[in-house]
Amino acid sequence: MTAALLQVERLSKNFGGLQVSADIDMELHPGDRCALIGPNGAGKTTFVNLVTGVLSPTAGTVRLEGRDITGLSAQARVRLGLVRSFQVARLFRSMTVREHLELAILQRERRTWALFASVGRTRGLAGEVAGLLATMGLGAVADTAVGQLAYGQQRLLEIALALALKPKVLILDEPAAGVPHSESQRILDALDRLPPDLAVLMIEHDMDLVFRFARRIIVLAQGRLLCSGSAADIAADERVREVYLGSRGHAAHRA
Amino acid sequence: MQTVYGIVIDGIAYGMILFIISVGLSVTLGLMRVVNLAHGAFAMVAGYLASYAVQAMGVPYLVALLAVVALTVALALPLERLLYRRIYGSANELAQVLLTIGLTFVVVASVNYIFGPTLKRIPLPEFLTGTVDLGPKEIPAHRAFVIVVGVAALLGLWGLLERTDFGIRLRAAVENPEMAAALGIRTERLYAITFGLGVGLAALGGVLGAELLPLEPYYALRYIVLFLAVVAVGGAGSIFGSAAAALSLGIIDTAGKYLYPSFGEFFFYAAIMIILFRWPHGFFQGKSA
Amino acid sequence: MTAAVTKAPAGATAAAITAIPPRPSRAFRDAVAVALIAGGGLAAYWIFPEDLGLLTRILATCLYVLSLDLVLGFCGIATLGQAALFGTGAYAAGIAAVHLVADPILLLVVGGVAGGLMALATGALVLRAHGLTLLMLTIAVTQLLQELANKLRWLTGGSDGLSGVEPDPVLGLFRFDMYGRTSYLFALAVLVVGVVVAQRIVRSPFGLACRGVKEDPLRVAALGGSPRGHLVGMYTVSGVFAGVAGALTAVTSGIVGLDSLSFTWSAEALVMLVLGGAGHLYGAVVGTVAFMGVHHVLASTNPFHWMLFIGLFLMAIVLFAPGGITGGVARIAGLVRRRAP
Repeated sequence: MTAALLQVERLSKNFGGLQVSADIDMELHPGDRCALIGPNGAGKTTFVNLVTGVLSPTAGTVRLEGRDITGLSAQARVRLGLVRSFQVARLFRSMTVREHLELAILQRERRTWALFASVGRTRGLAGEVAGLLATMGLGAVADTAVGQLAYGQQRLLEIALALALKPKVLILDEPAAGVPHSESQRILDALDRLPPDLAVLMIEHDMDLVFRFARRIIVLAQGRLLCSGSAADIAADERVREVYLGSRGHAAHRA
Repeated sequence: MQTVYGIVIDGIAYGMILFIISVGLSVTLGLMRVVNLAHGAFAMVAGYLASYAVQAMGVPYLVALLAVVALTVALALPLERLLYRRIYGSANELAQVLLTIGLTFVVVASVNYIFGPTLKRIPLPEFLTGTVDLGPKEIPAHRAFVIVVGVAALLGLWGLLERTDFGIRLRAAVENPEMAAALGIRTERLYAITFGLGVGLAALGGVLGAELLPLEPYYALRYIVLFLAVVAVGGAGSIFGSAAAALSLGIIDTAGKYLYPSFGEFFFYAAIMIILFRWPHGFFQGKSA
Repeated sequence: MTAAVTKAPAGATAAAITAIPPRPSRAFRDAVAVALIAGGGLAAYWIFPEDLGLLTRILATCLYVLSLDLVLGFCGIATLGQAALFGTGAYAAGIAAVHLVADPILLLVVGGVAGGLMALATGALVLRAHGLTLLMLTIAVTQLLQELANKLRWLTGGSDGLSGVEPDPVLGLFRFDMYGRTSYLFALAVLVVGVVVAQRIVRSPFGLACRGVKEDPLRVAALGGSPRGHLVGMYTVSGVFAGVAGALTAVTSGIVGLDSLSFTWSAEALVMLVLGGAGHLYGAVVGTVAFMGVHHVLASTNPFHWMLFIGLFLMAIVLFAPGGITGGVARIAGLVRRRAP
């Protein structure tokens, strides 16, 4: 068993009197392919915001490589390697795909204060961008402004941007949201090419995608950790059926 | 003691003029999200029209005041239809600034072309030139009149927004334009009426305040900064905020000019900076109508 | 043979129309623009030898408007306080020239440093705000500095202006002559250098990050960047440019007036920039030349004719041509390019 990259302990959040996250424990290890599922209102988004630092928890700790990061800002967490993608693609509409990746890489390397350097002549940049473009299958649209991309391509770029930051832990917030079912295969292909030692936590509604991608599944219900286990365990778990799969139980069988 | 009294009376009267003009700007900014740099131009047009009516045509002061306010609104409404309606919404800030600066230039040029590039006066009627006895002290009648009109405008606006059907619709539209439209509130008409209201207040202030904000060729450009300051400090869309901001800035500016005339408007702008650092959304944002 | 070509299959023609010829590279376009500015400047020197005073002022103003483009066009900061930075540079250089140094290049450095420091100090405070509050704060900074300059009469000359700026020859070689030839060529050289440096900055990693901040500051933060840091950084760079422009005006005209710190001067910078088109540096030059050229012609007869003209022009730009002059030209060029087979 390798040491945990991300450790979440007894994480809780109250909004006024309402407890939206209660005593959640979770660990991610290098190479993990984990999915977080749960019915609407289970507290998935709150959980992601707590882990990434958008919200601060009422109680509990978040550790990255053993270091307590509970008090750090979202930006500081990104710099330490805890990166997320957004559910609704948040991109710079007038910038090209290439410029997006350049910006992310330069940001990671802390080079965005170079006033008189040239982006085009920054050593190693073009090669790394080309590699990311190839991984995500975006080579053909590298110099297209993002505003003109198809939605599925924007989602791929969203993942590529996160990868450009060389994360240790990657949280994918519904990577296939809004993508037609016929195109979600491209997203899945891209996810298959993620670096093997990267720890990935995916929040997703599309059960097909979840069962094909995840080797471990965590189920949240009413702000609490209900259970976790392999896809087969979860599909067979009566409690999960009860709170979540319910009428959609057939989807689990199909997987 | 006499100085303090003078500062307070003049400061309040000056603040009331700032309030009457600026609250119109504040309401249009709060509702239509339009930074209307041409707001001062409407006050200027009204002032010049009133000056012409009273001096050249011999119209009685109060009649001229009312007629000019109505006329200015009538002149401005087509502009709302043709120009402003295209730039409503906070996404258009730069376009708003440019379009309304352009409009201000056109108004300044036209007014100077028609009425000549000289300082204009609006002679006060006899009942406003004397003083009003207030027990131990006296107030210049014009200042007293300005203060009374200012208070009436404040109460009138409050009543209009809090107590009438129009006010309810208006506040609903400020809170959430899409929802208001979905509820069948005709936002276009509401906007036009509100715009007219704003222009009317600017016109009223322009005429009443001619003694305190002199009608000079570059009036619309010179004073718009004051009106914007009041709105920024008071919080866009807030009536009581505008009143508080206008009165305090009026008194600060008057005090500065009485006590340290060589500093000009230094204290006025210093106060603005301090307030805006502390309360970047204005003091009264979100607290009242 | 020719007949066969003209009767090419429909599909081929369609492909030819949709295939847009490759655009020249950025570096090439930047070089062409610099050459045009330098060439145009030299041509004006030969064509209008009588108007070198006006032309020198136009060149210095180009640099001033360019400084505004850096913050407005590349960071999306709507400011009405650019004159605060320009005036700080102008007064710093003017005061230094009267009391300390006379080397013109050193005076530009003094102006640039002063403008940059002023931008850094005020930017760190005011750039927390947005929209109307930001506009108002930038106006307030400018007005405060103007009142201060008016008040410190012994240092700044107050409302009479600061006179007695008499710089040494440029590089010890070229004396400032009474016809303004040296002034003009000096200003042209400074502007060309300024444009080259500005090009460099907007194409740098820093410039790329600023464009990101302009579009979506929160997304930049989610990449681990600091949006406000970059805003303040670019505002400071812009302050250096504005300060150099102010110093250049002081050095070439020999006088600094209170109007260099006025709200009107800030608003005029905005008007000139938008007239030319914000966001690609050249619009600043085109807009300034157009604005000041027409101003010179119209305002000499009646200042109100000028106001009417510029007012109508501004309104027309907002309503019909949001990209300004350069945007309009680019759009026409785009149409032509697409029509060409």
